[in-house]
Amino acid sequence: MITVARAATAGELEPVPGFIESAFNPLVYHAAVRCLRGREFDGSRLAVVVSSLIGDATTTGLASRLLVDGQVHNAILFMQATTNAVLGLLSRELDLTGPLLSVSTVDDDPLDTAELLLADPELDAVLLLTVELAADERTEAVYRLLGRTPPTTDGASALLLERDPQ
Amino acid sequence: MTGGVVVTGYGVFTAFGWGEKALRDGVFTGTQVFAPVRRFDPTPFRTPMTAAAAGDPELDAVLGGCADDAVDMAGLPLDTAGAVLLGSAGDWRSVTRFSRGQAYAPGPEVPGVLAGMLADRIGFRGPRLAFTNACVASATALIHGWRLIAAGRQEVALCAGAYLVEEENMAKFDSGRTLAKDGAIRPFSKDRTGLLLGDGVAAIVLESEEHAVRRGATVLARMTGFGVASDAYHIAKPHPEGRGITSAVRQALRRAGASEVDYVNAHGTGTPLNDGAETNGLRAALGSDTPISSTKSTTGHMLEASGAVEFVVSLLALLDGVLPPTAGYTTPDPACDLDYVTEGPRRAPVNRVLSLNAAFGGMNTAILLERP
Repeated sequence: MITVARAATAGELEPVPGFIESAFNPLVYHAAVRCLRGREFDGSRLAVVVSSLIGDATTTGLASRLLVDGQVHNAILFMQATTNAVLGLLSRELDLTGPLLSVSTVDDDPLDTAELLLADPELDAVLLLTVELAADERTEAVYRLLGRTPPTTDGASALLLERDPQ
Repeated sequence: MTGGVVVTGYGVFTAFGWGEKALRDGVFTGTQVFAPVRRFDPTPFRTPMTAAAAGDPELDAVLGGCADDAVDMAGLPLDTAGAVLLGSAGDWRSVTRFSRGQAYAPGPEVPGVLAGMLADRIGFRGPRLAFTNACVASATALIHGWRLIAAGRQEVALCAGAYLVEEENMAKFDSGRTLAKDGAIRPFSKDRTGLLLGDGVAAIVLESEEHAVRRGATVLARMTGFGVASDAYHIAKPHPEGRGITSAVRQALRRAGASEVDYVNAHGTGTPLNDGAETNGLRAALGSDTPISSTKSTTGHMLEASGAVEFVVSLLALLDGVLPPTAGYTTPDPACDLDYVTEGPRRAPVNRVLSLNAAFGGMNTAILLERP
């Protein structure tokens, strides 16, 4: 049995210190904080799963353009190129010492991953964050390949699933 | 499920070439093959050195070849209701081609698509999922495979990791000043200056013991425990005392009902921060007597593929009773005071091994393998 709490976020976002140019990590951060704020939980028994098919295409594209233009990379782009950085920030701020995962899947339901984690007796709750950015020229081609409508806005949602303590 | 989760097949590719013989001849002899990369122009970067195989192989082809080898070794039919779990950030070269205005075929750069391509190739019809949490990605895939099997949701899971040296990550790691500035990797050595990237792809078949026994498969090892823990310390740096590493190792031992291991394949990147933190975390969890080595000293850092390739290295250590050395070691560091197997390959009785990985953002995984 699960109980859920939801939070969704899109549009203008407060910046998150240490992250630049891309909305991806601020979306993850704010969705997570809105969902967990005011709730009591044991950070060692909570898993976080970020699910995004494409990932942070804005950072990927920007870093790649700098590379092909022969320009020096900004070290911040190195740091924020994986979801680990924002998960590391969240884990520090919220004292989350359990599993932190990020996944990409075409057809699988990320809820299955969350449910599987809840089967672990060492975990009580899973925070499932789903995030996608508006498609750019490259990722539009990926969505077309998959027969999907490319997203036109950035968005994230958070879902907290908890095992019934009884 | 009755019984446990077992290993019945694997395929592997590194800078040393295809298969376990190449791995035994290279990693287990402490041979270093770092050389200036030829796949792209490395002159903008602080070092041109990587451990890259000859030529310019395509990631999906190498990944498919390793999966074929693993499925063949396991003796599984091609059409199986198994899961495909991949640790990969996708094929970065597709992104570079797009940015350069070169011929671009969308798909392989998206990890979830790459996992689907792999599943289609080997005909596995179960869940298809890519893990993208950097250097613990393929260890996370293996742990997810264990969870699926232990929960009775799957009987077979192909768990893989894939990374081939390319210039997008070379540029990123260069900007992060994590590459060894003198072009030499020396894990746990006082004069270490950083990591070097390397090619690595591996695929492993995990299976319920009941399923493996029923079909008469050869069981290579049991995966008896795992741990996953986070440092909750910093956006990028590891906790200096290795807090998450200690937790992950203790969790793995607890799940396995064990108190000690015979060998640890460390994350051992050769960066100043990682190796000290890892040493502290391991000392707190296991004491000071367990032999530890960093095989990234020979393979280079294979990023998302590290967990899968080092799982195979750990498996071979278990099967052969040989501990692979930490190559390139020069000078003792008071902050790294454990037994790092620096003298060369070491014969030892090995019944239980632990493969350890850590990642950016303070994520840590530990996987325990035991003789069947």
